[in-house]
Amino acid sequence: MAAAAGGPDPLFGLRTNFYLGAYQAAINNSEIPNLSPDEVVERDCLVYRSYIALGSYQLVINEIDSSAATPLQAVKLLALYLSAPENKEIAISSIREWLEDPAIGNNPILRLIAGIIFTHEQDYNEALKHTNAGGTMELHALNVQIFLKMYRSDYAEKQLRVMQQIDEDHTLTQLASAWLNLAVGGSKIQEAYLIFQDFSEKSQITSLILNGKAVCCMHKGEFDEAETLLLEALNKDAKDPETLANLVVCSLHLGKSSSRYLNQLKLAQPDHILAKRASTAEESFDKAVHAVA
Amino acid sequence: MLTKFETKSNRVKGLSFHSKRPWILASLHSGVVQLWDYRMGTLIDRFDEHDGPVRGVHFHKSQPLFVSGGDDYKIKVWNYKLHRCLFTLLGHLDYIRTVQFHHENPWIVSASDDHTIRIWNWQSRTCISVLTGHNHYVMCASFHPKEDLVVSASLDQTVRVWDIGALRKKTVSPADDIMRLSQMNTDFFGGVDAVVKYVLEGHDRGVNWASFHPTLPLIVSGADDRQVKIWRMNDTKAWEVDTLRGHMNNVSCVLFHSRQDIIVSNSEDKSIRVWDATKRTGLQTFRREHDRFWILAAHPEINLLAAGHDTGMIVFKLERERPAFSLSGDSLFYVKDRFLRAFEYSTQKDTQLIPIRRPGSNTLNQGPRTLSYSPTENAVLVCSDIDGGSYELYVVPKDSYGRGDMVQEAKRGVGGSAVFVARNRFAVLEKSSNQVLVKNLKNEIVKKSPLPIATDAVFYAGTGNLLCRAEDKVVIFDLQQRIVLGDLQTSFVRYVVWSQDMESVALLSKHSIIIADKKLVHRCTLHETIRVKSGAWDDHGVFIYTTLTHIKYCLPNGDNGIIKTLDVPVYITKIYGNTIFCLDRDGKNRPIIIDSTEYIFKLSLLRKRYDQVMSMIKNSELCGQAMIAYLQQKGFPQVALYFVKDERTRFNLALESGNIEKALESAKKIDEKDHWYRLGVEALRQGNTGIVEYAYQRTKNFERLSFHYLITGNLDKLSKMMKIAEVKNDVMGQFHDALYLGDVRERIKILENAGHLPLAYITASVHGLHDIAERLAGELGDNVPSLPEGRKASLLIPPSPALCAGDWPLLMVSKGIFEGGLDDTGSGAQEDYEEAADADWGEALDIGEVDSIQNGDISMVLEDEHVHEENEEEGGWDLEDLDLPPDADTPKNTQNARSSVFVAPTPGMPVSQIWVQRSSLAAEHAAAGNFDTAMRLLSRQLGIKNFSPLKSLFIDLHMGSQTYLRAFTSAPVISVAVERGWSESASPNVRGPPALVFNFSQLEEKLKVGYKATTAGKFSEALKHFLAILHTIPLIVVETRGEVNEVKELITIVKEYVLGLQMELKRRELKDNPVRQQELAAYFTHCSLQIPHKRLALQNAMTVCFKAQNLSTAAHFARQLLETNPSNENQARTARQVLQAAERNMRDATQLNYDFRNPFVMCGATYVPIYRGQKDVTCPYCSTHFVPAQQGQICNVCDLAVVGSDASGLLCSPSQIR
Repeated sequence: MAAAAGGPDPLFGLRTNFYLGAYQAAINNSEIPNLSPDEVVERDCLVYRSYIALGSYQLVINEIDSSAATPLQAVKLLALYLSAPENKEIAISSIREWLEDPAIGNNPILRLIAGIIFTHEQDYNEALKHTNAGGTMELHALNVQIFLKMYRSDYAEKQLRVMQQIDEDHTLTQLASAWLNLAVGGSKIQEAYLIFQDFSEKSQITSLILNGKAVCCMHKGEFDEAETLLLEALNKDAKDPETLANLVVCSLHLGKSSSRYLNQLKLAQPDHILAKRASTAEESFDKAVHAVA
Repeated sequence: MLTKFETKSNRVKGLSFHSKRPWILASLHSGVVQLWDYRMGTLIDRFDEHDGPVRGVHFHKSQPLFVSGGDDYKIKVWNYKLHRCLFTLLGHLDYIRTVQFHHENPWIVSASDDHTIRIWNWQSRTCISVLTGHNHYVMCASFHPKEDLVVSASLDQTVRVWDIGALRKKTVSPADDIMRLSQMNTDFFGGVDAVVKYVLEGHDRGVNWASFHPTLPLIVSGADDRQVKIWRMNDTKAWEVDTLRGHMNNVSCVLFHSRQDIIVSNSEDKSIRVWDATKRTGLQTFRREHDRFWILAAHPEINLLAAGHDTGMIVFKLERERPAFSLSGDSLFYVKDRFLRAFEYSTQKDTQLIPIRRPGSNTLNQGPRTLSYSPTENAVLVCSDIDGGSYELYVVPKDSYGRGDMVQEAKRGVGGSAVFVARNRFAVLEKSSNQVLVKNLKNEIVKKSPLPIATDAVFYAGTGNLLCRAEDKVVIFDLQQRIVLGDLQTSFVRYVVWSQDMESVALLSKHSIIIADKKLVHRCTLHETIRVKSGAWDDHGVFIYTTLTHIKYCLPNGDNGIIKTLDVPVYITKIYGNTIFCLDRDGKNRPIIIDSTEYIFKLSLLRKRYDQVMSMIKNSELCGQAMIAYLQQKGFPQVALYFVKDERTRFNLALESGNIEKALESAKKIDEKDHWYRLGVEALRQGNTGIVEYAYQRTKNFERLSFHYLITGNLDKLSKMMKIAEVKNDVMGQFHDALYLGDVRERIKILENAGHLPLAYITASVHGLHDIAERLAGELGDNVPSLPEGRKASLLIPPSPALCAGDWPLLMVSKGIFEGGLDDTGSGAQEDYEEAADADWGEALDIGEVDSIQNGDISMVLEDEHVHEENEEEGGWDLEDLDLPPDADTPKNTQNARSSVFVAPTPGMPVSQIWVQRSSLAAEHAAAGNFDTAMRLLSRQLGIKNFSPLKSLFIDLHMGSQTYLRAFTSAPVISVAVERGWSESASPNVRGPPALVFNFSQLEEKLKVGYKATTAGKFSEALKHFLAILHTIPLIVVETRGEVNEVKELITIVKEYVLGLQMELKRRELKDNPVRQQELAAYFTHCSLQIPHKRLALQNAMTVCFKAQNLSTAAHFARQLLETNPSNENQARTARQVLQAAERNMRDATQLNYDFRNPFVMCGATYVPIYRGQKDVTCPYCSTHFVPAQQGQICNVCDLAVVGSDASGLLCSPSQIR
């Protein structure tokens, strides 16, 4: 990415909005004049990925036709993959096929999408196979996340260091270091909080940022503060699954009833990790009762 | 050198600062003495009485006097208030070089070319001493600032110090002086009044100047040998200390700086030189192109110097006096001397933080200029001009406030300016390449970015942004995107002040202020005639700023005004309501209280906050012509109306605002024709006929009045008008009225009376009044005019007006919002304010409705969409797991060029697993999701076998142990384990125990709730609370052993309540078994309860037994109840009554299984007493006792553990394990 290059970066605002979860703002401000053809493709990718993040999968599937560039096709696959469980198989087999194709297999967006899809599949090895080589900040950031999901913060830290060498002030670098800081905990929590705080001062406040701050607060044991932040996030988007999930956790710690949020979450995103946790917990409790008895 | 003021004039030979006012006297070679105000830059006065050059001039310290001496041998004493010379002292026989007042005695010392120094008493206007000894021109003489000494310099190459102690002793009264004069003449050559103390020889040429050090026993002299010499003296002798060489020509004047360790000299070589007085090295030289310097003067109080040269003089200072400061939240960070200090506004506490490097004294003006502070990192950037611009980065240690004298090793760098642009990033301007270097706190370059314009300074402009200043413009530059966010043409900007919300910025130039928004869109520009010094934003968005002389305000629309005048310049740092905090030049924080009423009022008007305006008008004494003019000019005459006392102004304002009632009121008071007339015009415009009529009446404008009556159809008055006209002999008026009225007879009569008989005749005959016509015809005789034939005449009567009573429809006058509130009388149609439309009341309703409707619609649509999605997702969810497995193996086969080299790391250990490995606390296992191990632990420790009551607790613990972080868009969320007991110093990567959703304090809260429910008699509810506590305790984790004991105590307390409440509830079920009822009530009293509950239990048992005629037992309870000293008098009374009744008949009706004399515990299941010595088993968790038959059953009280099973005991703290 345009880390080292001089001169203004026309897509900067768009990218920042996208990374920080201001998807609608990213879509609304995507009309940027004087873009080179490559930048147009990147812009379109970001816009369509914003739509995906907002859940408008069908729009993306319909709008990207077969003549579009490879990156856009990859984005379409992601939309397909996320749109419905029955499409997952097709999406996965297509992406495998494409990755084999030497002509396009190295496209960073394609690899990124592959990484995202395989991470969803919890096949981290396969995901890393395509993403570890890096090449873009996004790929590095995804690597950080995958390593964190594998509980390998040491590897995540290495990735982060690579990112910092490329551009320490890049939005993704900052975000990734916040993720890592949260994962390793301890005094780093405060640093993560400061990173989110910086974002909230610098840019539009999104539920992603508020959630980030709230998570930091919870880790610091400041649940009251976290609740305020989360309620603010809920005001922005009443159906955001992370907000709801974190509210459940926060309410539990505050000794308040969490069932409303949990039910909302189950409605909004039944396959959310917390919803799953709740149901598996019940099962495993019953199992354990049998085992112990 | 910072030049403050310059004049162009004839050669300046003498200079003197006023000690209090910003004035300086300059005596010129042309014979004129000028009085300048150097702050405003104006010539105040000129005194032109000397004949020939005036070489010496001096202000008196306290009186409105100055003294001058010139080549006319005259010493003149002037009063500048009276603008005239008071008197002249004669005596010198040659040019007078210098004159000086004594600081306390009424003396003047003068030096003259006649080789003498004379001391004069200006009160007696006599010479009291002549100091002889020099044998050439005496070039200067001056008193010591404290001691009785005079120093003089002469062309005889010596400097002399004279002791005038004897003179002081003799000075008592003017009479003495005269006496002494004769005396003096007698001992002219050996006078004892003033004796030479030291003669300082060393200069090779004539000495032009010598002066004392203000505090130390030092003298500095300058001579034609181009040298400056420093001399030291003690009580007995004086000697030369050092020589300062450097001047290229005669040194004309030299003096010690009063506040710094500096010597300043000037010379005919056209230069001023600054020397370090201790190191005795040259610090700086200031040169002029063509002008030789002649004289220097230092201000007695402040840091100002003045120098006179061939073509005028300059007033200057050597160093900037503005302390470098930076604001952060409630604190001000600033540099004073060589320390960084912090001032907290809320507490007004001033602390010294750290010492900073003292600027090398080898050059002047190298002190810190700006400061930039990063609150999160507690780091400070100090910028100065050292090395052409450099910065130092200090990190303030959090704990060392106020202590330590060691200068920490700062990180340094060269750069035009340096500011923090983010928490841990600062930008340094590199002027040579016109780029900024972004550095981190290690002083390492993170990024370089070229700047869009040739920049000579950068300022903060919000996180990640810089405000770059060029000579004629400023731009805001986004460092990340490298784009210009806004630019603005300005004069050279010196300081930048952002409002707290970063929405507005004030750019301060030397003489102007520009207010702009955050994108540098221009809002307004203010111009000042004197220097702008500082400024700050108040909470309302008003910019308060200081100039050299005033504190002023600037409203968002550019209106400005003075708040307060200032004696000395100050630098505003922060504004809290009515208090302005500022730094003065000595680096002291000073609060200044100001009256903000005026600008708040204007701001309220501007913002259309009429409610505030009204309350301010009602409450405060805010008036004056300026305010009225302001209101009028801003289009608020109706507001101004309420301030004005003067009736004429009031009248004008009322007319302007269309307030006819007020205008009438004023017009009545003024009662002048002109005002009535103008009132009439306005009333007519508005259609207020009553007032029009009144006004016409007052102006006696009968014609208008008549016409007015005509068009209002007021015929009665019209006819009255006709009568009046008749009385006044106004024929024309009378005729008009008659015409208006259609009164033919009257008309004829008027015409007849006026002698127009033919006309009268015609009128009469036309209108068919034939009798009159005939009579007139008779009078006319032959001259009867002929009437045209064949025409029919008719009487023209004015049409009757549509509205003939009262006012016409009134013109809608735009009534201000104020009238309702301010006018006691005005209660007319107030509904339709025209202006109110854009004010902030009234409108809210409409807009609000519209908004809410729209919002409603949108959200409904959104909801619809969401429902769709959810349905889809939900429908598909079940399938997910089914579809996956076939795919799961395939990916491993596909190999790829990239993946062949890369071996993915093996997954690490989840945090929850670490928790499980480390802990033997059930709660932590549950939080980690390892329910089976948690259960095993509980079963081992507490013998718990029944886990169903714990199910929700387990799940809550598990769910509360992780938070969810949306990381990369569209990728799955990261779940992060929450740990307990976080502290800022905890080291990363060391896993703490899980944060648990239950804690001890919650249980204590619950206990209180349970108590309350018990008191209220809601037993089942109370039981629920107590049971919840009992169920939560196994999953509680506390830190210390002390807390462990508290937990154990809590178990016992709660257990007793649970048992007691269970028995009580059971008793209530047993309606038909009075014996069992009594027994249970009795047992209840044996549970250990809180005293109030115990009383209730006792009262209960007493009542039950008494009713069942078991009087002896009842008496026992009554006695026990009384022993608790019940505060409730009812309880006590009943107990006493029961006792009385029982004593009469001391026996029980039925036998109870209850022996209170024999100690017992209750069985938790069967509720029978187990007396001491009988066998029992206990619950391993809650330690309730049971009859042996209950062995192996689930405990009835806690509903968790198995009675009589083996258990190791409660484990609820890591401290128990260590």
